[in-house]
Amino acid sequence: MKFFKHTAIAAGLLLSTSMAYAQDVTLQFWDNQQTESGLSGFQKAAVDRFMAENPSIKIEVTTVPYPEYQQRLLTAVQGGNPPDIATLDQIWVGAFAQAGAVEDLTEEAKAAGLTRDQFFGGAWDSAVFNGGLYGIPFNVDVWQFSFYNKALLDAAGVDPESLKTFDGLKQAAEKMTGDGKFGVGLFGHKGEDTVVVVNSFIFSNGGKVLAEDGSCALDEAPAVEALSYLQDLSKFAPEGILNASSGDMRELFLNGSLAIEFWPALEQPTLQKSNIDWGFVNGTAPEGKTAIGTYGGWNLAVFQSSKNKEAAWKFVEFLVREDVNGDVVDLLPANKAAAGPFLAKNRDGADRIMSHLDNAAPRPLSARYLEIADLQMRLYQDVFSGKDVASSAAEACKAIDALN
Amino acid sequence: MTHKDRWLLWLFLAPTLLLIAVFLYYPMIGTVFESFRDTSFINPTPRFVGFEIYEKILASRDFHEILRNSIIWTLGVVILQNLLGFAAAVLLNQGLPMQGVLRAVVLMPFILPGVVTAILWRFMYDPQLGLINSLMMRFGFFEDGAAWLASSSTAMAAVIFVAIWKGFPFSMLIYLAALQNVDQSQVEAATLDGAGPVRRLFDVTIPAIKDVILVNIVLTLILTFNYFDIVWVLTRGGPQNATHIFPTKIFETGFGQFRFGEAATYGVFSIIVLAIFVALYVIVQKSASNRRPVA
Repeated sequence: MKFFKHTAIAAGLLLSTSMAYAQDVTLQFWDNQQTESGLSGFQKAAVDRFMAENPSIKIEVTTVPYPEYQQRLLTAVQGGNPPDIATLDQIWVGAFAQAGAVEDLTEEAKAAGLTRDQFFGGAWDSAVFNGGLYGIPFNVDVWQFSFYNKALLDAAGVDPESLKTFDGLKQAAEKMTGDGKFGVGLFGHKGEDTVVVVNSFIFSNGGKVLAEDGSCALDEAPAVEALSYLQDLSKFAPEGILNASSGDMRELFLNGSLAIEFWPALEQPTLQKSNIDWGFVNGTAPEGKTAIGTYGGWNLAVFQSSKNKEAAWKFVEFLVREDVNGDVVDLLPANKAAAGPFLAKNRDGADRIMSHLDNAAPRPLSARYLEIADLQMRLYQDVFSGKDVASSAAEACKAIDALN
Repeated sequence: MTHKDRWLLWLFLAPTLLLIAVFLYYPMIGTVFESFRDTSFINPTPRFVGFEIYEKILASRDFHEILRNSIIWTLGVVILQNLLGFAAAVLLNQGLPMQGVLRAVVLMPFILPGVVTAILWRFMYDPQLGLINSLMMRFGFFEDGAAWLASSSTAMAAVIFVAIWKGFPFSMLIYLAALQNVDQSQVEAATLDGAGPVRRLFDVTIPAIKDVILVNIVLTLILTFNYFDIVWVLTRGGPQNATHIFPTKIFETGFGQFRFGEAATYGVFSIIVLAIFVALYVIVQKSASNRRPVA
């Protein structure tokens, strides 16, 4: 009798301990906010839903403003105190994977039936590093769409369709520049927005940043031609290109003095609220070619140091689910099935956006991407300042190749 | 001092010394140590490389640009900020009407946080929408707006101007306090001897506050060399590295590109320069106290 009593007490204790443990799984999730879209509120609702579906897991969300996010995350990793799950910019995945900071999720994705064709291909590829899958695409967008001011185009007699070609864009920009108005919102400050826009012109002209073997391809003919084209086009951009950002161009576009601005689809909510009569085309390419944009976006990563990897994966799986992904992003859902309804509800020209996303190319998948991008920025600033394109590209390639 | 007193002395000093050691010297020594190791985020296992990173940095184009920029930036800001601060202090020491209000108005830029100052001036310098160009064009200096922060020939001057605008009230405040302590009987004696305002300034006032001037210059040297926020928000060190100085380079290399070893090496170069400034400060302070009459 005594034995049974003791066994029952022990079993009860064990059960209560395991229940208490199950209740105690708390996950730290870090994300950043790029827009004033009320995203935190939507994310909170989704997190509540997850916790209702999984009562044993508690999620604590930390939303960090975009400009501080990289530094905060890096400091946390270096200090040995990263969150369990975080959104990683596509361009950081290589470095975080190489550093051993994030988990390879290949097996988990396979077991959960998550595959590349359920997501935008380029976004999925941005999470692949040395054969491993170090993140699950969370949200995406593509640089760039050419947003135009219909009134300025009409006044200059410019057909919006002509903006799709290199020649058409240049002629339109020339026509619309003057009397305090600017044809095209090119910008060249030190920032990733500069890199992605210039890349898209290079990609659309058949060029690459890195060749298949990892060597620099910016000094090859298609890239040099695209850069020369942009140098020429910059004559029709507002003064101060070397310190101007996409945000500065937005101000000019919204006050009606800029005819064309380059932004991802993320710009649409701002334009929808403005008084500007606007439209857009999918980037710009040489005659007869299709414009290829540059992918931007974020992947969900699980950190190596997480003590609750299983629960963390559950949360990742939840966030990219078709019925959830569209509610928790301020760019576009990376899950293609979620992207369709999201675009139909929130963006104009959903089909065109989908096709531009399908065509887009990611930035180089390298652990040293940030150093490569720094050298690219330097090259692009040299180009916009009027330096010889071929020799500047050769110099940049020499420096990029020296990184390997 | 007895043995017990000595123990008590060290006991009371211990918390402060511990805090200084942990929060000041440990990171500083750690930075020096880090500069000898090839460490980056993607290569978390450090490899001792001796002076390899130093050699690489000294041979790079970036280092020479940053050194040149740092010298121009520091000297430009320190000289002009002190001249303007001194002139403002002399003016505000004349017993003008509404002196209190004037002092408060002049102090305003100093109170503003650096980031707010930089954002404000980014708007002012905007080539299309900025007040500076608008005024310049209205008064016929330019036909089109100039891109002050986007041209490598004007960006450094534009950034220096903002730093002076923010920093001169600090210098003014110190000079004003010093001017109010100048022995008025000497000024009156010089006036009776026929000395005009300029003569009185150079022969009586400046010698009387010479030590304060020196301390102020050395202090502003240290503060200016370490400036980060204004430059980073205005230009991020651009265009084409034209305004990159040591603090912006350290931040960009460490936190922008995850290259900690290289960032630490730039940090060591910074420490060396700052150590020279601090030594200067100590020498100036010491000579000033030696000259101070015993009460």
